[in-house]
Amino acid sequence: MAITESIQNVKLSTRFLNVTYVNNKTGAEVTALENINFDIKDGEFICIVGPSGCGKTTFLNTVVGLLKPSKGEILLDQKKIDGPGNDRAMVFQNPSLLPWKTVLDNVLYGVELQKLLSEDKKQEAKEFIEMVGLKGYENHYPHELSGGMQQRVNLARALTVNPSLLLLDEPFSALDAQTREFMQGELLRIWSETKKTSLFITHQIDEAVFLADRVFVFGARPGRVVDVINVTIPRPRDLHVKRSPEFINLVDHIWSIIEKESSKQGFVNK
Amino acid sequence: MTQGNIQFAQSESKIKKKKLKKQNKSLVISFVSVLMFLLLWEIASQNEWVNPLFVSSPIKIAQAAVVMIQEVSFWENMKVSGYEFVVGFALAIVIGIPIGVFSGWNTNFNAVVNPFISGLYVTPKVALLPVIVIVFGIGPVSKIVIVFLMAFFPIVMSAQKAMLTLDQNLIKAARTFNANEYQIFKTIALPSTVPFLLNGIRLGIGQGLIAVVVGELFASTAGIGYQLTSNGQNLQTDRMFVGILVITITGLILTLLLGVIEKRFSSWKPDIGS
Repeated sequence: MAITESIQNVKLSTRFLNVTYVNNKTGAEVTALENINFDIKDGEFICIVGPSGCGKTTFLNTVVGLLKPSKGEILLDQKKIDGPGNDRAMVFQNPSLLPWKTVLDNVLYGVELQKLLSEDKKQEAKEFIEMVGLKGYENHYPHELSGGMQQRVNLARALTVNPSLLLLDEPFSALDAQTREFMQGELLRIWSETKKTSLFITHQIDEAVFLADRVFVFGARPGRVVDVINVTIPRPRDLHVKRSPEFINLVDHIWSIIEKESSKQGFVNK
Repeated sequence: MTQGNIQFAQSESKIKKKKLKKQNKSLVISFVSVLMFLLLWEIASQNEWVNPLFVSSPIKIAQAAVVMIQEVSFWENMKVSGYEFVVGFALAIVIGIPIGVFSGWNTNFNAVVNPFISGLYVTPKVALLPVIVIVFGIGPVSKIVIVFLMAFFPIVMSAQKAMLTLDQNLIKAARTFNANEYQIFKTIALPSTVPFLLNGIRLGIGQGLIAVVVGELFASTAGIGYQLTSNGQNLQTDRMFVGILVITITGLILTLLLGVIEKRFSSWKPDIGS
């Protein structure tokens, strides 16, 4: 976790990031994140895994600007993050689409909120709709789409604002197993086309290993980075990779780290 | 994919046809049901199973209607009642929707208006009629006030409820895209209220029609309710039923119109029952 990357190449860096909040019921101060320090390179795909309650979502909410650090800072393109901004876009666990807007208008919603709506953006939105595989569905309403298709719209909306950093908060966790596997492959294809620096949160270790260049393993109470795993599996990766020994070893390795962390917390009975 | 779409469209039109057939069948059954009721009524009245003075009969009512629509006073009464309803109801919408929406959006404003809304909501508004008549007289203004009062509450409360059930996921998504409060209000809060508001307006129509009639029955110099009272004093039940029928038909037409508006505003919604 040392600061090793050369400064030109760094997209996102966190410096001694701490996030604390006051528990509404007990009034006690809870440390959700403690001394998070890392650098993410431009174009990198990072996955964050960890036991529940390890502050994964808190971290993402802080990066997107909905939460403020209590100590430390986050730098995106060498600029300090202070509240939400046009340089980040999030793909949500819940599709969060406006039910009264068509697919096209939903994809344009982020741009609309940023007051950057234009004919060019409309054209771009259509291209992203095609990229996520929804060509022909521009004028459909969300209720006419399946869960997987809604998540594609969710992704296209984030891409259309052309963010410097793409944040994904367990976007496939509500999908059925088959659709999820398929969407993982699709996400890698789209990522290789757009080369967006991506920060992906998941509780599924195999999903993290399949997608990421590096996997950050978070520990709980307080949330912190306990290990960083380099995924050396060459790209492009397809779903067959998941059966390779290299893949399985990595998953096992990460699982043992999480298990050790969890047993320390008394989550796992042994 | 295009072939899939065509197949999808075909099966969709088949489903629509089936639904239409089902609808037609229900329509026929309803029509027969009403016809049977009228027939039974006519027979019961003609054979004096029940006193015709109390219940009149469909044929007598129809005859009375033909006579009445040629009377100037009937149309005058319609005009007065219609005026009272439209003005009172329009006020209820124009004042009720903003108050409901803003009190659902802003907790301080809600704290200011909510005691009055909750208190007046459970007060039977007709109990205020004697006071209203003292203040506003027996002319149309007192009726406008009571229509407003009775239609206002379903509308204001539906707007409040809509704001309280906003999808927090949508609001969070908007915030990450750097949305300000006004944008969230305009793009999420307002559209979310439409289905609730239409429902409140539907309830308001029923309340407003009750208000016109009760207000006129209580104290008036013109209007459908006034006509009902004077016909009642002369034991002209057939003419009274015509008056009641006019109110019923008005209510039906208004709800039907609202249904058309609702359809326009909710094309994005899944069909219920399909």
